[in-house]
Amino acid sequence: MMLALRLARRELRGGVRGLWIVLLCLALGVAVIAAVGTLREATDRGLAADGTRLLGGDLEVESGAEPLPDTLRDWLRNRGAALSDVASMRSMAVAASGERQLVELKAVDAAWPLVGAPVLDPPQPLADALGQRDGRYGLLADQVVLDRLGLHSGDVVRLGTESFSVRGALRAEPDRVATAAMFGARVLIAQGALPATGLIAPGAMVQYALRLTVPDTAAVSALIGDLRATFPDTGWRIRTPRDAAPGLTRFIDQTSLFLTLVGLTSLLVGGIGVANGVRAWLEARATTIATLRCLGASSRLVFTVCLIELLALSACGIMAGVVVGAALPVLAASLLRDVLPVPPVAGVYPGPLALAASYGLLTAASFALWPLGRASRIPGAALFRDTLLPEHVRPSRPLLALNALLAAALIGLTVATAANRGFALGFCAVALGTLGLFRLGAIALTRVARSLSRLPRSASVRLGLGNLHRPGAATPLMLVSVGLGLSTLAAVALIQGNVRQQVLGQMPANAPSFYFVDIQNDQLARFTAIVQGSPGTSDLKQVPTLRARVVAVNGVPAEQVQATPETRWALSGDRGLTYAADPPPDTRIVAGAWWPPDYTGPPLVSFDSGLAKGWAVKVGDTIRVNVLGRDIDLRVASLRQIAWQTLGMNFAMVASPGLLRNAPHTHIATVRVAGPEQAALLRAVTDALPNVTGIRVEDVLTAIAALLSQIAIALAATGSLTLVAGALVLVGAVAAGQRRRTQEAVILKAVGATRGQIRTAWLAEFGLLGLAAGVIAALVGTAASYGVVHYVMKTEWSFLPGTLAVTLAGCLALVLVLGYAGTAQALRAKAAPLLRNE
Amino acid sequence: MDAIPPVLSPCGRTIVQVGNLHLTVPAAAGPVNILRGIDLDIPDGEAVGIVGPSGSGKTSLLMVLAGLERATAGTIRIAGQEITGLDEDALARLRRDTIGIVFQAFHLIPTMTALENVSVPLELAGRRDAAARARSALESVGLGHRLTHLPGQLSGGEQQRVALARAFAPEPRLLLADEPTGNLDQATGETVMDLLFRLRERSGTTLLLITHDADLAARCSRRIHLADGRVVAIEVTTPIAGSPA
Repeated sequence: MMLALRLARRELRGGVRGLWIVLLCLALGVAVIAAVGTLREATDRGLAADGTRLLGGDLEVESGAEPLPDTLRDWLRNRGAALSDVASMRSMAVAASGERQLVELKAVDAAWPLVGAPVLDPPQPLADALGQRDGRYGLLADQVVLDRLGLHSGDVVRLGTESFSVRGALRAEPDRVATAAMFGARVLIAQGALPATGLIAPGAMVQYALRLTVPDTAAVSALIGDLRATFPDTGWRIRTPRDAAPGLTRFIDQTSLFLTLVGLTSLLVGGIGVANGVRAWLEARATTIATLRCLGASSRLVFTVCLIELLALSACGIMAGVVVGAALPVLAASLLRDVLPVPPVAGVYPGPLALAASYGLLTAASFALWPLGRASRIPGAALFRDTLLPEHVRPSRPLLALNALLAAALIGLTVATAANRGFALGFCAVALGTLGLFRLGAIALTRVARSLSRLPRSASVRLGLGNLHRPGAATPLMLVSVGLGLSTLAAVALIQGNVRQQVLGQMPANAPSFYFVDIQNDQLARFTAIVQGSPGTSDLKQVPTLRARVVAVNGVPAEQVQATPETRWALSGDRGLTYAADPPPDTRIVAGAWWPPDYTGPPLVSFDSGLAKGWAVKVGDTIRVNVLGRDIDLRVASLRQIAWQTLGMNFAMVASPGLLRNAPHTHIATVRVAGPEQAALLRAVTDALPNVTGIRVEDVLTAIAALLSQIAIALAATGSLTLVAGALVLVGAVAAGQRRRTQEAVILKAVGATRGQIRTAWLAEFGLLGLAAGVIAALVGTAASYGVVHYVMKTEWSFLPGTLAVTLAGCLALVLVLGYAGTAQALRAKAAPLLRNE
Repeated sequence: MDAIPPVLSPCGRTIVQVGNLHLTVPAAAGPVNILRGIDLDIPDGEAVGIVGPSGSGKTSLLMVLAGLERATAGTIRIAGQEITGLDEDALARLRRDTIGIVFQAFHLIPTMTALENVSVPLELAGRRDAAARARSALESVGLGHRLTHLPGQLSGGEQQRVALARAFAPEPRLLLADEPTGNLDQATGETVMDLLFRLRERSGTTLLLITHDADLAARCSRRIHLADGRVVAIEVTTPIAGSPA
């Protein structure tokens, strides 16, 4: 061992020429994984530290559209809790000019906020800002609302039927994450002002919540237990600071999973680079190895020396990656300050860094063992005689077993440390399958190149084809290194294109222009008359709607139902419920049957088949819902497949008429109207019916499109990382073959080849390589995007040839440019020094 | 220094004409003058040996004549064409159409079979019968049974025979050979040289042979002695090319 160390040290003294690609590949992959892990940890710490502020208290009880009972308040006060009531809903803010804007209204009591403080502009006490002055309540709004409506402090703005005085801008609210404003900007008023707005009508889409702080935060868990026991089957949603921002936590979970997988793909591509770099390095060291063998070095010693050198170098690459990965989040944290609601807690987190280093080490070992094992099996004499390592030589069986073990450990680590293990396992399977596919592709390409090599009339093209199939050709390595990155990018582009098409593509065909919500029973006739009397309107559809909360499924309380993660959302909070005698148009019943039009029996429900699958609900089961404080058992009569992306009025639950017809409810309506007439219609409806809120679909879609664009940029940027890794490996592969290529170019020139002929040969070689990589990547990318869109996102997948073609053409150009740039150097080499006698 | 006698071609044509040829290369310690005013005329069809000690400029002269190295000054006419002003591609075409080269280290393309190595110059010249000619050339050097072997699978002597076949297959007017037996044992070297001279005689190709071996040089009709980058002597001998091995 000491001898091996000594020999390795002597050789490393001469530098690591030829192995820099190994170093870079490892550093890149490790850096991505370390950075993602560190950023995630920093964000988690930020969330943990700020959870109480984000939630607005130690605990939140949310009851949906039903105000929380005073008995609960008394019960909590008796336990020393400080309370704060918050109600939120969507509404229209109407300026004196007649301009109007959809807003996310939040009504708070005097105790708000229990934790933290809002930032007002101009600075003033919150009570003054929201309180009554000269007979008018005050109102605070996001600057964007003030700008759009042209409002300034002192101006009057109407919400529902009540006028408010603008007292300033709301720059920050501590619990913004807990009551997220998705499609409208925030408007804040005092809770005392809410009744006067006329917005709180039976069935209105309002959400009540009670926040509380307790003297002893350690007793919160016990308090929750007592609360559930004292107030059973209420369907209230109880949140603690740990799940203050479940959406954000889920987002961070999914994003970090995605980014980690991107990092792993980069590392996988880097692994190819490691294998390639090691192979080229060993070829260049063939004489040294042969000399050592001839001087009596055993294959074991040769293997150990090479392994030590490689491990030393890998350690340098991994360390570089860890350092960059630890430093990057500091930069990212400052860039993401406005995007993330919680400032990440900067620091060095050993856990994620150690994990990234483990990934790096396992990758280096998994990919380097094969070429190292091969080199140690080759007899010295063969190395003297052959300039090419014989392809048939394989590593020894124990080494093969060790290699398999290391690969399994890499997969195990990936799966064990992922938030979604199934997805991670799927990723590993797809990655392995893709590697296999590219290997098969390489075999096919070399065979095709061999069988076609006599066909072209141009000698240069024949030479290029020959370069793809001759012994020692780097075709398989180059194909995989470019192809993996390319596949990721193609998949990302197709997923992104599909999502965009789902959201925006459907709109011209069948999307309504407006949703009008909170139309009261007695307002329906007037609403209909206004819409029908407005120019350019069509497709007016209206349905009754009630707010219902799922209390139990087949007798199991909602919070104990075993639901899949993607369907759990529907078990908490209010859901829209409608009733109908006949199935809505385009209904697709997948199980059971619709009730007769004149059905008057016990309440039945037609349920969303997707949710039913997630909750394990089937026809004949019972879903207990709470409507306006009353529990109603709905028996599942049928399951429907709902096309949510049509943007029409879709309800997870459609009940049979009868009982519900007599419950207080509102109506929701959709209408199509030509662009120029939209403002007039909105004005006509909301002036006549101030409590009715009009949501412009175009605005919603614009908001979603903006969000998608941001996601798309992030996806493309991270997806490109794998391509960067691939490009790095390609450059490495070209560089590794540079000596041979230069020698070949010089000989070709000596026997009469012009530079143009040599260039054409290389262009043919790299062009075909890029084309083959592109075709396979297109297949893999298409399949992967189908899998994600169809199985994970559960929406319709469509093939987007344009998107795919642009991505692949760009990548083909990249292969040609990188390949050509690398080989142009060989073309410039002077002939004489290489041809002189050695 | 001996006076350099003018030599006329048997048919009166000169294939190589060199006038006041200089080659200077930069080096860390200052420019090195490798060739210092070489004048040389080689008639068509002749076999000329270039001899001299190591560092005398033999290989550099061959490189410059092949257009693989650029002269610093002087003129070079190959087959009547002045080559000092030609660009790299024109020089490549000149080699393709007129010159064959055999190197000491063979310089075969390691990833190509023997047949492919020999075919390359013919294919580059656009010869449609490249494969057939290459096969015939390999058969003529006794390697008809080694067509699909890679250079790594051939002995040194066999590799040099492939190089000979590659050089002769396009039927060049001028063959430049740089120590073709330098990497071979004596017996193999003799076999290769017999083959070289036999092929040359058959094709009438002009030969410029660089060698250390006095016996080998003696097989040429003229021997040009180089020392320190200059021609120091020219010996005219009775040609013995084609003598039995």
